[in-house]
Amino acid sequence: MAARRMDQDRRNEDFRGMLARMEREGHLRRVTKTISPRHITALCGQAPSAVLCEAVEDYDIPVVGGLYWTRDRLASALDWPVGELGSRFATAVARPLSPVLVNDAPCQEVVATGDDVDLTALPIPFMHEKDGAPYISGGVAFADDPELGPNAGCYRLMFRTRREMAIDLFTASDLRRYYTRTYERKQPLPVAIAIGVHAFEHMAAAYKAPAGLNEMEIAGGLRGEPAHLVRAKTVDVMVPANAEIVLEGELLPNGWTADEGPFGEFAGMQGDLKHNPLFRVGAITHRRNPIFYALQMPWENDWLNGPATEAACRRVLGLAGIQVAGVRATEGGCCGWSVVAAIKKRAGEGRNALAALLSLPVVKQAIVTDDDIDIYNSDEVEWAVTFRCQADKDIIILSGMKGKHVDPSVRPWDLKPGELPTTAKFGIDATIPEGIPAFRYERIVPAFRSEVRLEDYL
Amino acid sequence: MTSGRQADPALVKQIEECLREPVYFRDILDATRDQKYRAVLLAWSDIRTRHALERDEHGRYWRAERA
Repeated sequence: MAARRMDQDRRNEDFRGMLARMEREGHLRRVTKTISPRHITALCGQAPSAVLCEAVEDYDIPVVGGLYWTRDRLASALDWPVGELGSRFATAVARPLSPVLVNDAPCQEVVATGDDVDLTALPIPFMHEKDGAPYISGGVAFADDPELGPNAGCYRLMFRTRREMAIDLFTASDLRRYYTRTYERKQPLPVAIAIGVHAFEHMAAAYKAPAGLNEMEIAGGLRGEPAHLVRAKTVDVMVPANAEIVLEGELLPNGWTADEGPFGEFAGMQGDLKHNPLFRVGAITHRRNPIFYALQMPWENDWLNGPATEAACRRVLGLAGIQVAGVRATEGGCCGWSVVAAIKKRAGEGRNALAALLSLPVVKQAIVTDDDIDIYNSDEVEWAVTFRCQADKDIIILSGMKGKHVDPSVRPWDLKPGELPTTAKFGIDATIPEGIPAFRYERIVPAFRSEVRLEDYL
Repeated sequence: MTSGRQADPALVKQIEECLREPVYFRDILDATRDQKYRAVLLAWSDIRTRHALERDEHGRYWRAERA
């Protein structure tokens, strides 16, 4: 009975419900001392948990940041077991649920239009030393297209004026595609930016959903129940009904002409100055006593994509007929570029697994181990690489694969305009080599281990 | 959420002075430490509305003098 009540309590849990649960679980702390928006990112980077800054200098809106900074915090936000992020994401993507449209929504409890629209009323923080201006880093953009359907995605926005921000549409994305279609007709694209949405909606928006699949259907799959959406007040776009704040407006048909950036990018490096479209805000709607979410780069951005990467790894390994014991997207590889997989190996499958993993566009390096290795323990993985790998036989290098501009090692500045970078990838087969009997790797076991309990002595 | 505030002309002038040479946005926040953050954003909004600012490859801003 108690379990059922808890399930009901969590039905369509909103952003602040998620924060309350993270606080109970020790993953979020409140800061009551007054802080400037200049200092919030530096504080988040040092804090051992996510922080909710209740008193922000000169603002009546609290700011929360660092929610998904680690695998543990993301697991807490999702209320999923920490070792099951990839597998649960894969299950959810396979079972999308259509969203439900509601009429009355918390995100529209307060509506500001006309001269009341003023972006400086939001505590948009200045985040990194070389950033071009304060940034909305945790916004989810919603748009619609009569032919392509609704879309949600994660895009950064740089503050320019009370009513305008520059939005990063530099690289290929669904929103860039939508915008290009209206830009070519010299028309604006109606867009809404939701700030402070639940991890389910945010992670779904960060996911590159297959064509024709609405990201909010993925959010429903992640939730296990339909996401609640409401029609925005001034643009024909659906947004999460429980969002803390929604900016409604248009991407102007100015093309890629407004200076935007630099900004601290997802790969952990300061990005370049770019030129991008402008977002003109026509209305700001919000909950009463809204909370502003400042996503902290790079780890929150990276971890929102981590489960999708792990799910993709499981999918390609499954297609290769390989039994997967575990997949880990590592922090050092920005939760996508570097992966470790443990498999129940049959002859030759160490290399097959590497070939499958390296076929994923995002994965640049991969390690495959047997299923006796704890892939969440980097020392264990290193042990396997040290003793189960011969460098001249067990390392695969693939050249001329699809690369990404954000990786300086591909020397993107040498490319011609429009030219795409290529990259080399490598994989390490750290499984027990064929022909070596498993007993050669018999691990040390302390004598009488089951008879000794630490708490009896220390 | 409070709207309706106006940019402080003295602060706008102070930031315009900063923009006589290439500066990062961080430099502007440094030069205006005695001011409230929101006041700086209001002044920045005013400046960006009235002037087309130059940017260099590092992302620094400056204000080109009119001939």
